[in-house]
Amino acid sequence: MISDRSIYFVVVLVAVLAALGTAVAYYYLRYRRRRRFPYGNWESLLARLSAVDRDKIALISQNLLNESGSWRIDEDDSDLNATQNLSLIGGLKGLEVMERNCAVLVDLAFYVQQWYPEASVVAEQLRLNAREVGWHVGRLKSAAQTGKLEIFFSDYAQPAITTYYLMTRRVLALYERYNLPGLGDLQRAI
Amino acid sequence: MHLDHTDYLFWAAGLLAHIVLLVVISARHRAETFPFFTTLISANIVKTITLYLVAFHGTRYSYRVTYSCLTVVDLVLQLCVVYEVALHVFRPTGRWAPDVRRGFIIVVAASITVAAGLTTLAQTPAKTWLAAVLIRGNFFSSALMSELFAGMIVLSVTVGLPWKPHAARVAQGLGFYSLVTILTEAGHNIFGMERSSRISGDLTLLRIVTYLICVMYWIVMLWRDAPAPRELPAEIRSQLVAFQRLLEYDLRKLRALK
Repeated sequence: MISDRSIYFVVVLVAVLAALGTAVAYYYLRYRRRRRFPYGNWESLLARLSAVDRDKIALISQNLLNESGSWRIDEDDSDLNATQNLSLIGGLKGLEVMERNCAVLVDLAFYVQQWYPEASVVAEQLRLNAREVGWHVGRLKSAAQTGKLEIFFSDYAQPAITTYYLMTRRVLALYERYNLPGLGDLQRAI
Repeated sequence: MHLDHTDYLFWAAGLLAHIVLLVVISARHRAETFPFFTTLISANIVKTITLYLVAFHGTRYSYRVTYSCLTVVDLVLQLCVVYEVALHVFRPTGRWAPDVRRGFIIVVAASITVAAGLTTLAQTPAKTWLAAVLIRGNFFSSALMSELFAGMIVLSVTVGLPWKPHAARVAQGLGFYSLVTILTEAGHNIFGMERSSRISGDLTLLRIVTYLICVMYWIVMLWRDAPAPRELPAEIRSQLVAFQRLLEYDLRKLRALK
């Protein structure tokens, strides 16, 4: 005879196993899809990239970068105000486009890291940058929901845009260095 | 202690499979990459021989005590293997990725909490304290291992880090075995672990067969070479120069915009 406590145990165990199984299946499928790109379906991957205005990205980024391309120590020394930055990038929608592109760029870096271990250091930097942009965009979305988007824009958006700019440079460098296919298309997209 | 032909058969099969796996690990030089996994397999060979000798010459109580002690060693080594796999996945440049440490600690803490909670919830119909500890310990260990591997998969995909081929195979084998043992050990928690029980015997058999399948899988997968990294083009140096020019061009454009 099975006790009530054993029945509770089985119910909880089934729930835990179902949650574990669903999480593993979902994330494993995402992993498999990422592994296939970019050679499995290059056109589909590029279709996931949305065009951004590189000149505007560069204009915003120059406020946080010095002449050697590294970060300025004094971030307050900015030539653009939050309103100008906001209109240049196309508001939160523009940032979301960048966030989606970051996910694609991580997929590209993931592939390079898998097949070209020598490029791991560069690919790792790309991955960290993409997560940083995602973090900034996450904060901005929260600010938008509370009606404080413009106030938070200079704190979160400008670093995100500059990080994005540096990251696209690194992705292009990776593809150029290892003669990967699709460099021309990538240069046009990002 | 009375043992039938099936017991002897599985003991022999387990010993042989482990020896073959150890030969594969040595012959293909995997021990340098996976020292903890190699230790686990070596320890399982020692465990199989020790338990055979104790079962043949000792009492049922001495067998259970020996089995319990070796199970603790087995759990510690399995946790070491989890850590070893994590080192291969979460250290892409030779040191821990900065955005992974916190997530990994959360995965470990959550896995221990959930496994402990499930183990506490179970009502073990054991007659002795040693049997109760053994049944609960086995269940805790299998739940913990399954959750750790599941958590590592979720974490690696979230942060975007790839699995190295052999590390992935080791994890898949151990993860699958842990998942099946959750079910078998849950069965032991409900129906007991008496050898006279038909259900208990079938559950033990299922666990042993699953483990043998995993050992076979490791033999094949660790014998195979990982896909070779692609050859780098010869003109890397000139391309680096080209990249430098691209950077200089971008910087000039940035300065002109100011």
